[in-house]
Amino acid sequence: MKKYIAMAGLLFLSFSCSDLLTEDPKASLTTEGFYKTANDLDLATTGLYNLIGLTFNQTAGFASTFGADDMTANRDGNKADWSDFDIFRASSSNNLLNYWWVNFYRTIKSSNNLLANYTNAADATETELNNTAGQAYFLRGMSYFFLTRVWGEIPLVTEPTIDYTTQNASVEAIYAQIVSDLQQAEALLPDTWKDDSKRFQNGVNIAPTAGSAKAMLANVYLTMAGWPLKQTDKYALAAAKAKEVIDNKTKYGYALVDISILWKKENNFSSETVYGIYYNTNIAEFVYPNTNMMLLAYSPQDEGAWGDAYGELNFYKKFPSGPRKEATYQMVYYPGNDPTKAVDYTKTTYKHPYFQKYRDDAAFNPVNHVTSNWVGSHTVPIIRYAEVLLTYAEAKAMADGVDATAYDAINEVRTRAGLKNLTTGLTAAAFRDSVVVERGWEFAGCEPAARWFDLQRTETVAKANSYRDASEQALVGKPDDITHAFYWQPIPIYDQLLNTNLGN
Amino acid sequence: MKISLLNFSNKQTGMRPALLHLAIASALALVSHVTLAQDKAEIIIKGKISDYATNQSLPGASIYIEGTSNGATTDANGDYSIVITDPNATLVFSFVGYDTEKRQVGGQTTIDVALIPSLEMLTQIVVTGYGEQKKTDITGSVSSLSPTTYKDQPVVTTSEALQGRIAGVSVQNVSGAPGGEVKIRVRGMNSINSSNDPLYVVDGVALFSAGLGDINVNDIESIEVLKDASATSIYGSRGSNGVVLITTKKGKADHTKVEYNSFVSFNTVRKKYDLLDAVGYAKLANHIAGSDIYPDPDALAGTGTDWQDVIFRTSVTQSHQLSASGGTEKTRYYISGYYVNQPGIIINTNQKKYALRSNIDTKLSEKINLSVGLFVSHQNSHNNTDAGDGGVSMVTPTVSWGPTESIYSSPGVYNRTSATGSPISSNPYMTAKERLNDAKSNTFLMSSTLKYDITDWLSYDLVLGVNANLGSSAYLTNHWISPTNPSSGQSSSESYTLQNSNIVTFHKMFNDIHDVKVTGVVEETSNTYKGISANGGGLTSETNGYYNLSLNKTQSISSSYSNWGLLSYVGRLSYVLKDRYLFMATYRIDGSSKFQGSNKWGYFPSIAAGWRLSEESFIQDLNVFTNLKLRGSYGKTGNQAVTPYSTLGLLDKSQSSYGTTTLYPGYTVGNPSNPNLKWETTIQTNVGLEMAFLNGKLSATIDYYVKNTKDLLLSKPIPYYDGGGSTLVNLGKVQNRGLEVSINGNIIETEELSWTTGLNVTSYKNKVVSLGGDDIINLGYQARGLVNTNIQVVKVGEPLGAFYLIPWQGIYQQNEGTHTAGEAKYEDVSGNGTIGSEDRKIAGTSTPKFTFGFNNNVRYKNFELNIFIQGSEGNKVFNATYAAISASNSTVKYPTLAAAADYWTPENTDAKFADPASLNKTQIESTQFLQNGSYVRLKNISLSYSLPKDMLKFASLKLTVSAQNLLTITDYIGFDPEITSTGLSTTGTSDAYGGFDIGAYPTAKSLSVGLQATF
Repeated sequence: MKKYIAMAGLLFLSFSCSDLLTEDPKASLTTEGFYKTANDLDLATTGLYNLIGLTFNQTAGFASTFGADDMTANRDGNKADWSDFDIFRASSSNNLLNYWWVNFYRTIKSSNNLLANYTNAADATETELNNTAGQAYFLRGMSYFFLTRVWGEIPLVTEPTIDYTTQNASVEAIYAQIVSDLQQAEALLPDTWKDDSKRFQNGVNIAPTAGSAKAMLANVYLTMAGWPLKQTDKYALAAAKAKEVIDNKTKYGYALVDISILWKKENNFSSETVYGIYYNTNIAEFVYPNTNMMLLAYSPQDEGAWGDAYGELNFYKKFPSGPRKEATYQMVYYPGNDPTKAVDYTKTTYKHPYFQKYRDDAAFNPVNHVTSNWVGSHTVPIIRYAEVLLTYAEAKAMADGVDATAYDAINEVRTRAGLKNLTTGLTAAAFRDSVVVERGWEFAGCEPAARWFDLQRTETVAKANSYRDASEQALVGKPDDITHAFYWQPIPIYDQLLNTNLGN
Repeated sequence: MKISLLNFSNKQTGMRPALLHLAIASALALVSHVTLAQDKAEIIIKGKISDYATNQSLPGASIYIEGTSNGATTDANGDYSIVITDPNATLVFSFVGYDTEKRQVGGQTTIDVALIPSLEMLTQIVVTGYGEQKKTDITGSVSSLSPTTYKDQPVVTTSEALQGRIAGVSVQNVSGAPGGEVKIRVRGMNSINSSNDPLYVVDGVALFSAGLGDINVNDIESIEVLKDASATSIYGSRGSNGVVLITTKKGKADHTKVEYNSFVSFNTVRKKYDLLDAVGYAKLANHIAGSDIYPDPDALAGTGTDWQDVIFRTSVTQSHQLSASGGTEKTRYYISGYYVNQPGIIINTNQKKYALRSNIDTKLSEKINLSVGLFVSHQNSHNNTDAGDGGVSMVTPTVSWGPTESIYSSPGVYNRTSATGSPISSNPYMTAKERLNDAKSNTFLMSSTLKYDITDWLSYDLVLGVNANLGSSAYLTNHWISPTNPSSGQSSSESYTLQNSNIVTFHKMFNDIHDVKVTGVVEETSNTYKGISANGGGLTSETNGYYNLSLNKTQSISSSYSNWGLLSYVGRLSYVLKDRYLFMATYRIDGSSKFQGSNKWGYFPSIAAGWRLSEESFIQDLNVFTNLKLRGSYGKTGNQAVTPYSTLGLLDKSQSSYGTTTLYPGYTVGNPSNPNLKWETTIQTNVGLEMAFLNGKLSATIDYYVKNTKDLLLSKPIPYYDGGGSTLVNLGKVQNRGLEVSINGNIIETEELSWTTGLNVTSYKNKVVSLGGDDIINLGYQARGLVNTNIQVVKVGEPLGAFYLIPWQGIYQQNEGTHTAGEAKYEDVSGNGTIGSEDRKIAGTSTPKFTFGFNNNVRYKNFELNIFIQGSEGNKVFNATYAAISASNSTVKYPTLAAAADYWTPENTDAKFADPASLNKTQIESTQFLQNGSYVRLKNISLSYSLPKDMLKFASLKLTVSAQNLLTITDYIGFDPEITSTGLSTTGTSDAYGGFDIGAYPTAKSLSVGLQATF
């Protein structure tokens, strides 16, 4: 008997362990022990690229730029939410409105955490610390730049916090933060990531460099000079920053590439990309933010694609013909993916031209236009070198008057597009207008350098829309270049419900 | 229910053996004094039948002449008379709840019989936590289920056996896939974010690594469901959601039994959607597109594909169970083997299960008993991971693919994507045929108890329990499914839960009236989980299936680990005075690793009292009640069902490949750490009344309860501008109130004919009382793309599962403001002039008002008929599948539903749907797609025929023909009102979601043939 009890007792003892109630998450990283080493910093910045990848991998966020005259969307089937932006009736509960809001702020949250903690990495060298902070400042500044252009006055969060009563910050305060962040990035980021096996691939920088920061800053200054801040003294700063990039293009590795290959998959890693978002579907597991959903988004339903948006007729008609137009728009359509039935856009279901900037991909078969995957690997350029040139041209003209360098800058872009040089002897205002038009052709379709932002800062949204072809879907809301009605989107309803201070 | 014969001597109830023998002896003496009659002619025998213990007469008792069908019953006074011709005849006296007595007439003309209440009635022992109790002594709300109630219904899982049979227990088959998930709730839903699954305890071992679905239902001897706090507080922090105790079969001494049980069933989809044909679809598509996508719709007559016909099939399920049991007084055994093959009603889906159980009980000595139960099972699942979510499911593509599309574009080449881009999903037939997803699961359960009876009033039980699961899965995504990136991967996991319980039981009767029982327990439970997975992309050859991962150009690995521990101290005092006044108090202290600091410890007391009124003379004098018991309880239980490390603030994995084919690890900040998190606690009050009439022919139990849950483990959403996500907080209160009624009747009980019936009705109300200052919590949602905002909310004053939808008001008949005739009309709840998610309001709930089960068993001679009806009333289902195919949306541009052709035109103004070509879109998140989920269902109807052993010599045989889900009465338009895409482990188990159907795997209608042979 006793031996059984002893046995039982032994079993009980062997079962007992003193740390039964202590937690040790052996396979998970916790916030507490993080940001302590240089490697932690690398993991954290890699996480940031995942977030920014998600932000730009689909049309959802871009929908807020559809009010421009380069794009429109049909309303049938599932396209009403896109079309709502195009015809100025998007409400705070539009299903696409949340996308950029959520994902830019997620990027901001992770950047804030990194910036609050990165100096704790004891073994990190000064360069490693600078590179880390530089990337976080760059992505935070860029995120706010997009956010304030879409929404205007928004919460300005720069520290890890949870606050259900935050008030919206003024546009001035937001731009002050953007400038400060990008100046930090400019100072901290390297000129090249050549020695970093991840951030430098196929001869180009994947991560932002000092050059990317300067180019972004130039764009920010140019925007600050226009609506809503109208701080015209920023033209000079924009021109100066753009010039720094142009003057050092060899150092940073920037150049225009031939227009015929610009949007080809072979050019995914391109010297033209000053800062871009890189995707790849050929990875070992499906990581959605690492893939680009835009290859079906702007392509015709007739060829089995989604057709979330297509080119506005009048803009297309005015678009100067030549290699740039052929690189921008799809010229030949194969309804039912049958090449023997080739037609032009007027014979497609929706009788509109489609953009093909993101279409060339391993999943796209140029023979019959079959797209065999809904995600692709196409790079989304945030800033192309062409934009640096055009920013310089416009800012230079507006700051100091038109000069030869301004002409050289715009003509470099025009020449590449197969166009003649711009008429000489233009006034600053006329020159500026020409640059804005040029930017329209150059960045038409879903580029982050969206035409919408140009119309907004130059207060020409209503004007541009007044040329809308009568056959297009009629506008419901009336944008106004004096009252700036419809210039900004309403803050998404979700956050308005959580924080009533945000109501707008 | 467990019948204990061993407890007879030391339980101080009813009969004591000495007294019993005396009674029988005197009865015999009485009989022998009766005068003998010698006449060969008709003899009239008269007499009275009474209860041996109380001397009360027994009306309705039956008497028959052995070997004939001639019989009689007693009248209201318990008197009978019967005519016999053979003076040597034997009379058989029987009555429900009493042992049958036989008497040789032997010349007597008056035969009075005092029937002895059967042992079963007196000593019905009910398994309770950490011990067992006489049914009569129970103060809590405990329901028992015996396999005899479902014996003629072919069941593959335990949940099927439970469904509709116990008041207060709801069983919802959320997926019709073979081995599909089931949601079981005991007395409603307490928790918003944490699991509301009850705790399952098999032979004293609480399951964690294994689930109810892993148990072989055929091995079950009895199921007890503990519902109120008096019963569940003993399980403390794991008791809030009720406890289901399962006892498996054991051998009986000197009673060798070999049994074979088998059935084959033929399953088909219950109902299909009524969809457009190719002509109607083409016309509708042309109308929506505003151009001739299909130039000549009428030419398409008779062409195209009926996708439901090619995806659904008749499947054949086979189940076989062979068991052997028996033994000696010293050692008893029960051994069983089980095999079931269950192909799904969707092509290329299947599940197979193999199981083995060995239960051995042996007396090591006079005082020490050792029981060891071992169970192993192997489960093979093929493509049945169908979560019901839009992306994964086969169902939504099946009903949304246009009938104009063909399966193949040329011989041997699938028509991968629809020519019109509608829907965006791939060819469902291709997906069904080409996908390959295999999962294997091995479950191991051990429950061993060493019981040492130190004295006749003190015993010690050592329980060692293991439940473990070793799982593995593998997939191949071939070039059809993913032309640009075929891939393969494998993963495996192991989960071990160890339990050690030390139970000391003191049980003594003082002065013949004070029955005192004290139980003390120290218990440790711990779980360790480890997982590893390896995935590849760019598979260069599919020749090796998923077996050769190195054929992938890019490869990735990941691993996971978690561990938790629970340390518990339990005490229970039970006191019964004079067999009629019952008291019980329990106390449990639980320490959990999942919380930090002093929040680790939780304290869970309960008290209960009962009064057996039927033992009181003033009730006995009424002569109405065979049993009458009033009981009440009050107590506290907890819920620690958060995942380990929930309080620590883990980082989220967030990889990036920097544009290359190599994925680099990355991390972003996840939800914040939360060291102040603590237990969610539930306080439950229960009042119950148990009644039996007509000597037990009719019995009823009524329970009313109120459960208040506070400190809810809630995910509070963080504003997106602060990065979004959520933080777990202890906030708010939820209340559940309910009434449970169960009525059982043995309406007829004779040798040849019997009819037993059972009805249980459960009604309960769930209400969110407080959300800690907030009024509403917006939840996450499924089927993103189709549905673009949450359609369910947690709102103060509303039940969990409340729908939150834009009120649909029909169709505009004239142009009104910005609205044109033919557009869908909605209520502008916010008054802001536009329609959107700000216009949602509460619109019903997925929680039923009441559910019921009604079981009838009629036996005539060797035939037995079972009719089991089960139903649910008052619950709503958001039919997203229906929405997806009836209005244009982000995934389906051209609707396929036949009724969608009935859209508004100036000529068709009372149309069912708005004009799909109108400017303003149809809001999917509206009440238009909320449907009534009430149903009444003929769950089982079966007819069986038994061939007794004396006919066949070698065995007794029983043949059963049955049908399941043969008839369902419901207004629901989809495949089945019971299935839902929520409540699945794959999609989030919060009960705040429920009643959401987006391509959920349909349930089947089955016809079955069963065979049971006992040797």
